[in-house]
Amino acid sequence: MLPSISLFSDINRPTLSFCLLLMLVLMLVSGCSEAPSDEYAEIYRHSEDEAPSSLDPAQAATVYANMVVVNVFDTLYRYKYLARPYELTSNLALDLPEASNDGLTYTIRIHQGVEFADDPAFPDGIGREVTVHDLIYSIQRHFDPNVRSQGAWLWSGRIVGLDEWGENGADYSAPIEGLRALDDYTLEINLTAPYPQLAYTLATGFSALVPREAVEHYGREFAVKPVGSGPFRLTSFNSALAKFERNPKFERGTFDLAAEGYSAALHGEFDLEALDGQPYPFIDGLEIHFIDENAARWNSFISGEVHNVMVPNEQIDVVLESRNPIVLNNELAERFYKHAAQEAGFVYAGFNMADEQFGHHPEPEQDAANRALRCAIRDAFDWPARNETFYFGLGQIFPGVIVPLVPEFDAALSTRSIERNIDAANAALDEFGWRDNLPTLSYGMPSSVQQRQMFEQFRAQLQDIGFATDQFVPESFATFGDFSRAIKSRQLDLFFLGWTLDYPDAQNTLQLFYGPNATPGSNNFNYQNPEFDALYDQTLTMQPGPERTALYRQMNDIVIEDCVAVSGLSRTRVHLWDKQVRMLPDREILGGFFMRFVDLADAPVAAELNN
Amino acid sequence: MELLSYALRKLIGGIPLILGVTLISFVLMVYFGPDKTFELLSKNPTEAEIAQVRAQLGYDQPFLVRYGTYLKEMVTLDFGFSDSTGERVNSILQRTIPVSLALLAPGFILGNLLGIVLGLIAAWYRGGWIDKLIMGGAVVGMSISFLVVIVAFQALFGVVLGWFPVRGWVVHDLPSYLHYVTVPTLASVFVALGYNTRFFRAVLVEEINRDHVRTARAFGAKPAEILYRNVLMNAMIPIVTRVLFSIPLIVVSGSLLIESYFGIPGIGKVTFDAITSGDQPVLKAVVSLTAVMFVLILILTDILYRAVDPRVSLSGETAR
Repeated sequence: MLPSISLFSDINRPTLSFCLLLMLVLMLVSGCSEAPSDEYAEIYRHSEDEAPSSLDPAQAATVYANMVVVNVFDTLYRYKYLARPYELTSNLALDLPEASNDGLTYTIRIHQGVEFADDPAFPDGIGREVTVHDLIYSIQRHFDPNVRSQGAWLWSGRIVGLDEWGENGADYSAPIEGLRALDDYTLEINLTAPYPQLAYTLATGFSALVPREAVEHYGREFAVKPVGSGPFRLTSFNSALAKFERNPKFERGTFDLAAEGYSAALHGEFDLEALDGQPYPFIDGLEIHFIDENAARWNSFISGEVHNVMVPNEQIDVVLESRNPIVLNNELAERFYKHAAQEAGFVYAGFNMADEQFGHHPEPEQDAANRALRCAIRDAFDWPARNETFYFGLGQIFPGVIVPLVPEFDAALSTRSIERNIDAANAALDEFGWRDNLPTLSYGMPSSVQQRQMFEQFRAQLQDIGFATDQFVPESFATFGDFSRAIKSRQLDLFFLGWTLDYPDAQNTLQLFYGPNATPGSNNFNYQNPEFDALYDQTLTMQPGPERTALYRQMNDIVIEDCVAVSGLSRTRVHLWDKQVRMLPDREILGGFFMRFVDLADAPVAAELNN
Repeated sequence: MELLSYALRKLIGGIPLILGVTLISFVLMVYFGPDKTFELLSKNPTEAEIAQVRAQLGYDQPFLVRYGTYLKEMVTLDFGFSDSTGERVNSILQRTIPVSLALLAPGFILGNLLGIVLGLIAAWYRGGWIDKLIMGGAVVGMSISFLVVIVAFQALFGVVLGWFPVRGWVVHDLPSYLHYVTVPTLASVFVALGYNTRFFRAVLVEEINRDHVRTARAFGAKPAEILYRNVLMNAMIPIVTRVLFSIPLIVVSGSLLIESYFGIPGIGKVTFDAITSGDQPVLKAVVSLTAVMFVLILILTDILYRAVDPRVSLSGETAR
């Protein structure tokens, strides 16, 4: 007898078919989301080229995170919408902070009656009033070892008692001398030394006010379920899309075009005048679409699914009629507005000065020779070629490390350090005996095709000063984190990096060369120069003004003279957006403040409904 | 009862397999995966902060302790929180797996069904122009990069024709589902069809040359009846194997390209991001789920073998 079992003998075919069909339907239904309730609302659909990971202000270290954070949460200050160079203005604070004569005490008053958005984290789900205690709590969190803050460095060593509070166990009931609530709406900050950039730090996403109830209610998931008092409420978030609705509790007066830095000559074409005097935000909802792939982002924009796009590199030549001046082609100009914005930051190559082969050396003669080698490498680097090949010739090449977007930028500075000069480079190498003894240099980069192309271009240029192919060695890393680890542990001789400003002050880039900030700190160059450090220390407590600017420029000269970096270039980003949208997009200084001022001139669905 | 006892036996036998897969994967994660530390640190970290983050990530623990924690997480089905987003890993899986299933199921089903039908037709007309036409089409489908197909379909259906969205996933009922799923499905069917058709044709051609098929033809059975009863049903074992073993990859890995380009928040993108960023809690969950699913599919495959071929015995004996 053959062994046999009738597996489905007790299940007839119709039943089996029904079960399979039911499973399929359930599977499909489970992939569905809630029906949208905003069919007729004015929704601005914004596209970004990457998704944020954490939305907790304590970890808002990227442009992408800030796009969400500054719209969900409130900061005391923000930047004026249209004014360039960037100008600080009050947001939740009533005015800019009042500083004592010695610059050690700041008093800040905030708006009364501002409330957090309603959320289940609050009793009865009703958001309560925002007070300065929330700001104190929000800054304290950065010093709580359990929070994994990425913004503590802004206030570390600056506010009396704050570092110690963190070191002593981060007890939130313990008072901090440097952060005192004079009443619910007035905060006094006591500093260990004058800190002229303090107000700037209170405009960063890191400083956004979070309600303690929500942090405790959601625990670690607060990073994906943020609750704040900003103009919008986050309603859903995933790696492809963040959806917001207008926070009905948000009231911050009316839009003052002149106060925001409006200039008819610069902004007249964008149809912003109609918004003057109107309460903001103007839109009912906001969607931020995170679209990594350039082709998908571009197609999405052209088809009208998103309102804006930062033009991908491969589309630049298609989009522009001319690069200098930047002119949009006629077909696109009829449909879209264009704005070419310079980045608040720069890209540069840097040396690891801790390596005695080419960096600092205890012997003065060898130190001078090493400097000559670095300068020769700098002189061999072809910035126009880099700009043309990778930035479509739209970037601004500038000498040194004070970027064009800060007020301290020196447009008259000699361009000698950014001009390719092979003769001078070879002469310097000859003079210091660098010929058969050129060192082998490692060049680190995150693993990507473009990074590799950049490396190959650099390597080809170095061959003009005698570097053999195998003397410039690539080291690629799977992630930026691994690349960063290699830099911080001084494994790389040379690296190419970008820096985005945290605030519009040259101190933010000069600190990259400050000796005490050596790795694992932000001084990836491990540059040590007592003269530079002394000037830096001197400027740390100085208020903005010609005297400080002069010292900044002196420090910039030192960095150029010592050939610590091959610098630099500020990229130009071309933004396009639908003419239906009244706005001027901006993602610099870790920003996204502009979204509260976006308006849709004519929402087609609503118009259709009215008709 | 025999079925239940068979399934239990196989399930217990699958435990070493799961342990082996998780151990190898964990070794790869720990010793060859990205280091998350510096992605979580500020621009200006101190040595103390670095040590603190490494401790929070568990990097300072011995390997065996970490693997023990992993096994405990598997048993308790609690993988903690994503190191990247802070979201609970179970919530991520609950949110993304249904989306990937809903996204990929139509393409998977259509791709296999059409592949079988075309394979049957090509096998029946083997060597003729219909066969050559189908196989030529299959080669075209296989030769074009999936990426090119996706971008071209997005441009064609979304930008030029404007019939479907370029990307997105705002699905709340059947019409909206069809609106968003159509282009991704067409793209995945276009690419999968070539591979499927070639495979199924090869299997079916082998079956079509057997004596019993020739006998059926001699009896004057209709071609459709022969193809279904004598060819397809007798070739089900390799077909079932291929189809079932694709399922775990669809459920767990999703389709990275489709999800990325169409902006669909499924498990494929989550897995890719976890791999490239070293998000170990998410990776551990995905690896565990994949291993368990493969064991379950192994069991299901054996059971289905029995269903499609009565000669197969679950007790290990062979029918004669």
